[in-house]
Amino acid sequence: MGHDTHGTNRFGRRSFLRALLGGSGAALLAACGQAASPAAPTAAPAEPAAPPTVESVSGPVTLTWSNRYSTATTQEILPLMVGEFEKQYPNIKVDYENPGVGDAYVEGLLAKIAGGNPPDVATLYEPPAEFAARGSLLAIDDYMASAATAKPDAFYPSVLKSTQWQGKTYGLPSSAGAGAIYTNTAMLGAAGVSADRDAFPKTWDDLKALSAQFVTVTDGEVQQAGFVPFVGNSWLYPAWSAMNGGQIYDSAANAYRIDSDQNVEWIEYWVKWLDDQYGGNLEQLTIAGNWAGTYPDSAFHLGRAAMATEGSWASTDAEIPFDWEVMRFPVGPSGSKSFTAFWPNWWVIPQGAKQPEAAFQFIEFVATRGWEIWYQYIMDTPSWRGFPPSVLTTKLVNQTSPERATNVNTFFANYLEDAVEMWTSPVETFAQDTLTAAIDEVLNKRKSAKDALAEAQATCQAKLDETLKG
Amino acid sequence: MASITPADQPPVARRAPRLSKQLRRDLQAYLFLAPWLFSLLAFTAYPMIASFYFSLTKYSILNPPRWIGVDNFVTMFTNDPLYWKAVANTAYYTFVSVPLSIVVALGLALLLNQRARGIGIYRTIYYLPSLMPVVASTLLWLVLLDPRLGLVNIGLQAIGLPKLGWLSSADWSKPGIILMSLWTGTGSAMLIFLAGLKDVPSSLLEAAMIDGANGWQRLRHVTIPLLTPTIFFNLIMSIIASFQVFGPAYVAGDGGARQAGPLNSLLMYMLLIYRNAFRFFEMGYASALALVMFIVLVALTLAVVRSSDSWVHYEVGRR
Repeated sequence: MGHDTHGTNRFGRRSFLRALLGGSGAALLAACGQAASPAAPTAAPAEPAAPPTVESVSGPVTLTWSNRYSTATTQEILPLMVGEFEKQYPNIKVDYENPGVGDAYVEGLLAKIAGGNPPDVATLYEPPAEFAARGSLLAIDDYMASAATAKPDAFYPSVLKSTQWQGKTYGLPSSAGAGAIYTNTAMLGAAGVSADRDAFPKTWDDLKALSAQFVTVTDGEVQQAGFVPFVGNSWLYPAWSAMNGGQIYDSAANAYRIDSDQNVEWIEYWVKWLDDQYGGNLEQLTIAGNWAGTYPDSAFHLGRAAMATEGSWASTDAEIPFDWEVMRFPVGPSGSKSFTAFWPNWWVIPQGAKQPEAAFQFIEFVATRGWEIWYQYIMDTPSWRGFPPSVLTTKLVNQTSPERATNVNTFFANYLEDAVEMWTSPVETFAQDTLTAAIDEVLNKRKSAKDALAEAQATCQAKLDETLKG
Repeated sequence: MASITPADQPPVARRAPRLSKQLRRDLQAYLFLAPWLFSLLAFTAYPMIASFYFSLTKYSILNPPRWIGVDNFVTMFTNDPLYWKAVANTAYYTFVSVPLSIVVALGLALLLNQRARGIGIYRTIYYLPSLMPVVASTLLWLVLLDPRLGLVNIGLQAIGLPKLGWLSSADWSKPGIILMSLWTGTGSAMLIFLAGLKDVPSSLLEAAMIDGANGWQRLRHVTIPLLTPTIFFNLIMSIIASFQVFGPAYVAGDGGARQAGPLNSLLMYMLLIYRNAFRFFEMGYASALALVMFIVLVALTLAVVRSSDSWVHYEVGRR
């Protein structure tokens, strides 16, 4: 009896837990081991053995594509694009999945890459340099060299540069929606300003003067604005800097230039604009209206602002309910040329992709001819220079006319020739966040432009140096 | 009388040793517990241990972790201005929202503890917001708190007060999300208080009434002392929840993209962790941040538990 009892105790709660913990400890160690090297495929980028051709994909292959598009329109477009690709490349099937929306997409993609199960193709809104610098993307220069259409010179230089890191190309941009100033034709007309692009201000001073004509203030509250350059669309900052002869990040030197004299002058110019036309209080201005962009609920959309910045996609996406025009950005006091910024859709092949050749054929397709399908739905300016100018966005054609759609299309395509170099830093997101916060502090009168930009410069350079160190 | 020796006994088939009843019962219990134990070890213990390890490394998720010792902690305390910003924002949120949520939840519970016609409907109405997904409720509040068109500002103007910037203002954004959290977060605490109130013996209240105590005195000297265990529980849960506030700050602060609210006024600690982990590829640093938060939370909880000796009154047994 006593023996039996003892036997029971040997297999009792403590023993069971001990066994379980022992087993799980081993599992934890094993898991830690895995965690310690989750990125086995992130060693030096593997180079493809042979230049790929369509024929190189001999047997039927199925590509996995982590797709980040989730809107109703894109759900309409994707099957058409993939269908067309599969028709042209009958050996390749594309299996696309949406691992999440917004930030959840990045989380899902990171988990897949870290887990050693990357997709063959991924779409990014985040700059490829951030991933490439951490060794998680495949360099595609050799593929491009022998590609039928996606050759290096087939893309706008600054736009292709946005996929490069230390001289190698890590993806293709299918689009590069350029930024511009949207104007309300009727409001400008009422002020005696022509809708002609040539008549639009060519300098910041002239633009500011034009803006002043529209500003109305009642009881200290801004009712109507001309142009509020400093609210929203912070992705345009590299262009604003370049317009004034400055630069935010110098990829050739791996150096930030945030606190240059030109940039300090740019931000001080904005503060003066805020003071001169909008009472100097950013918070009160923000309470009075949504002065950012051209989308519904924005002051521009509601006819309360004569001008606003936005990307090319807004031409169709924002459904602006009146006649509008798009204008080039004017030049700052220390600048010499108009620049635009752009925001691409990037297509990349993660390290460890099982079908890199087929993956390249797919991203080559979407970044060139395949984008025709997309562009008919959304006016996301193609980054491929060979894109047929006759392909127009149906919505814009229907809203206006083929001539007008061609005109807008040509404007954005041409403006991409003057796109600033951007999205090239391995700490791009961190730096953008830091710069935005710094400018916000200046506009809210918490710090001087010089101090805030100097702090941002030091922070971003330190983060960059640390990242480059590995 | 002939004695029977063992050799004379008929052979008996040897039975396999049976598990004792106790052992069988234990095994059954562990079998049923196994899924939970497994998930505890795999999805809580392992991530915690891994996170501790990552906190001592430079780890981008995309590269293998590299041991850097305590560098992440040094950076956190000496070289990351956003760290102290996030600490200050979270401390503000905690010190304002926790007492406020307890007072509001207790007040609601007292009101809903009355005998009144249709009281069940009122209880349901007040509890319903806590069932609402945080993103949905935040989006709803974004509309309500819109500086120009939101009902809250329209109401303020109607009574002669100025419009507030709410989420567009560095000063008012945190009160804005505290308001949101009050709406969504008090339902559960209120329900627990309601259960606590049901446990207050009516004999004590009647005795106090006979002794001439008015409503406030009965509340102050009978109900609240007897509710202190419930207050204690809600306090600890609220502190933990307030440190982990993420959803409203994330949604209202535009996902922490570029910055979390005006002048980073909505940069809560959890959002800082999230941004470092998934926007800046700094999982090692994010793990260090998480570890510090864990230690602070444990310390705070222990402090509250220790302080409970002096203010929590149990009906039976030691105070």
